[in-house]
Amino acid sequence: MKSRISNYSPLLLLPTAVCLFFLASPVHAQVPDSAYSASSLKRLSLEELMNIEVTSVSKKPERLNEAPSAIQVITSDDIRQSGVTTLPEALRLAANLQVAKVNASQWAISARGFNNVLADKLLVMIDGRTVYTPLYAGVYWDVQNVMLEDVDRIEVVSGPGGTLWGANAVNGVINIITKSSKATKGLFLQAASGNQLPWMANARFGGNIGDKVSYRIYGMGYKLADTRLVEGDGKANDSWSMAQGGIRVDYQSSSKDQLTVQGDFYDGFPNPDGATAVVVMGGNMLARWSHKVSDKSEWRIQTYYDHTWRDLRNGFTEKLQTLDLDWQYRFPVGKNHEFTWGGDLRRIGDKKHNLELFAFDPEQRNLHIYATFLQDKISVIRDQLDITLGAKVEHNSYTHYEYSPSARVAWTPAGKHLLWAAVSRAVRTPSRIDRDFTLSVAPGVPLIQSSDMVAATLVAYEIGWRTQPTATLSLSVSPFYHVYDKLRSVEPGPPPTGFPLTFGNGVKGHTYGLEIAGNWQAMRWWRLRGGYTFLKKKLKVKEESDDMNNASAESNDAENQILLQSYFDIGKQVEAGIVFRHISKLPQPVVSAYSGLDLRIAWQMSSFLELSVTGQNLLDDRHIEFIPTSPSARAIVRSVYGQLTCRL
Amino acid sequence: MSLIKHIAFSLLLLAAAQNQQVQVQREYQLKAAFLFNFCQFVNWPADAFTSGEAPLVIGVLGPNPFGSYLEETVSGEKISGRPVEIRYFKEPDEVGDCHLLFIGGNNAKESSEGIAATKGKNILTISDQPNFLKQDGMIRFMNQQNKIRFEINVEAARSAGLEISSKLLRLADIYTNPKTDRNVPKGHSN
Repeated sequence: MKSRISNYSPLLLLPTAVCLFFLASPVHAQVPDSAYSASSLKRLSLEELMNIEVTSVSKKPERLNEAPSAIQVITSDDIRQSGVTTLPEALRLAANLQVAKVNASQWAISARGFNNVLADKLLVMIDGRTVYTPLYAGVYWDVQNVMLEDVDRIEVVSGPGGTLWGANAVNGVINIITKSSKATKGLFLQAASGNQLPWMANARFGGNIGDKVSYRIYGMGYKLADTRLVEGDGKANDSWSMAQGGIRVDYQSSSKDQLTVQGDFYDGFPNPDGATAVVVMGGNMLARWSHKVSDKSEWRIQTYYDHTWRDLRNGFTEKLQTLDLDWQYRFPVGKNHEFTWGGDLRRIGDKKHNLELFAFDPEQRNLHIYATFLQDKISVIRDQLDITLGAKVEHNSYTHYEYSPSARVAWTPAGKHLLWAAVSRAVRTPSRIDRDFTLSVAPGVPLIQSSDMVAATLVAYEIGWRTQPTATLSLSVSPFYHVYDKLRSVEPGPPPTGFPLTFGNGVKGHTYGLEIAGNWQAMRWWRLRGGYTFLKKKLKVKEESDDMNNASAESNDAENQILLQSYFDIGKQVEAGIVFRHISKLPQPVVSAYSGLDLRIAWQMSSFLELSVTGQNLLDDRHIEFIPTSPSARAIVRSVYGQLTCRL
Repeated sequence: MSLIKHIAFSLLLLAAAQNQQVQVQREYQLKAAFLFNFCQFVNWPADAFTSGEAPLVIGVLGPNPFGSYLEETVSGEKISGRPVEIRYFKEPDEVGDCHLLFIGGNNAKESSEGIAATKGKNILTISDQPNFLKQDGMIRFMNQQNKIRFEINVEAARSAGLEISSKLLRLADIYTNPKTDRNVPKGHSN
């Protein structure tokens, strides 16, 4: 919903210590003055050097104390050096996300728990465009593709972001930001093949028109191979392929104005149940104009149109058209206040073609969202103590007015430390499946029927500590305590049959946990990053409810997860990378703990040609990452692929 | 009274000048780290060195904006087994054996004389001068949105026998010679 104003410059410096300028500007990194020693600077990579501001650390957006949230950043280097090939795989590189591959085309991805294939508490944006489906308020990962070469960074904020981003930013926000076309000039060609990736091809060309306009045009496609049946060695027959193309044009009319127009279209055939492949098609077009009024003030206006089509090939189809307009304006008031005001108007036209027993009523529904927010950042002690108060009011077609206020305190006792605390409220508003859906056993005999479900709420209490003792080392620790109410429950129908089942708001409870992340540029040629996430979930059925899922909230989460990534150069021509992750047991249904190890080695054969080999899931022959309600669970196998990359 | 004013004014000026200096310094601290990084992404022909252990030499021509920072950056470092040395040249005709030459000053005449002095040698030339690449210089630093960017003239480097790795090219703006491509005006920075 709310995308931050961004200049899309490559920002790779010390990712987890970077600051989320939480109001309205890009993530900015700060290197304390003392860190400008020759010995620390020379250990930084070129990418990092390119992100250090040349002048004045006193300018607002670069201060460490403006990241009072549990943000972790995946840089383009982290992505490239990990050897991942798809967006969901890249998200595994954020230690504060739960990411599980379910089968060849489905993923379960969440932050701070409540993970499921239909996870519905995470807001995901690609270049400022919200990519959620109002069907279940989650994300169809099979149609969220970006060419990873052109990704600038992925910012993952765990914890609620409702004040800025609105409903659905309950447990976290993922912001996928691609590079400006200024930074993607020239020809890029890439081809890969392996046992689980029969083929993948990526191509892009970028250039200039005059000295103010840059563009890129790209095409990509892949086929992902079958996962395995859990019993025996049989293949799950869920292999699938997709293709996508797109264009982006950036026009920098002055140092103050930036206009971006971009669009993508795609076509794919995911086949999660291994029977009939689903047909997915879609496209989107986005325009964004940002204007810098002064160092302290800027505004941005953005509009997009997004069209998706999904044909389950059993008669059920879904056509979704989203039209969105949103804006944001940041401005100072007096010496100590900085306001950000924004708004969002969205119209979602959702048209299903029902089956007799599987139906939405009405078949076609237009959903409207109107939202506005105001945030005030108050400088209590200059450069040391800031308090940010904000609230969003959002009107939606189902539950009408919803509120997401928050209060944050950021204290920077010394330049190298930031301590922050926040209390925020977020809501998960009902989706079509909650309100408009009926599943019948026979015509006129409903088995599941939607009801007047209301919004689920979260009040989150967070604290955090961020430190950057040297330019090459950073660390963040973020404990949290979340209190949920009115989570979705499944209620039995009236006696004697107990049918139809309906959805209710009968679950409440709390979660608590801890997210730790660190980054260390150990040597000029060696980078280490990693994190640990602990999560405990305690939910219970409310008195008035008879939740048939026994307060599981339809989710399954690991208590512990560990991520370690290391990559280094071996001489000038060779780079090597390792990603290790460990996910502890999922409780219900039980999925055993597993560890994954990916290895990549790349050889720069000439100035433009690179050859790499990547092995994924090397530690076991096969493992299960998630057991969905439907289709059956699948096993993920060890894989190896080779890749040839040409950059001209 | 006027003496006090005079002193106060001088102090103010001094403070302003010092402040200015701090900023310049930071920019060149960063650029020193860039120069050192560049050394690792460029291949010099073997005969650019007198022996296998001969040092890799970074030269600075004209005014030295780095202070002692360049020395501090390379001290104790080796590149492909070679120690790194810094040499300073006042005038273009003093430019001796070096592998990388930063041409100081912001004056087109100085930089073109500097480039001329490296002709026929395997020297990577670098400058801040806006028209540097047009003059056949190889790498030009630019400030964009308060960050350092650089632009590379690949052809000029190639004709000096230097091979620039794709890692470096990936991060750079690539300069296209307007003689060969008229549609791509360059040399723009903010």
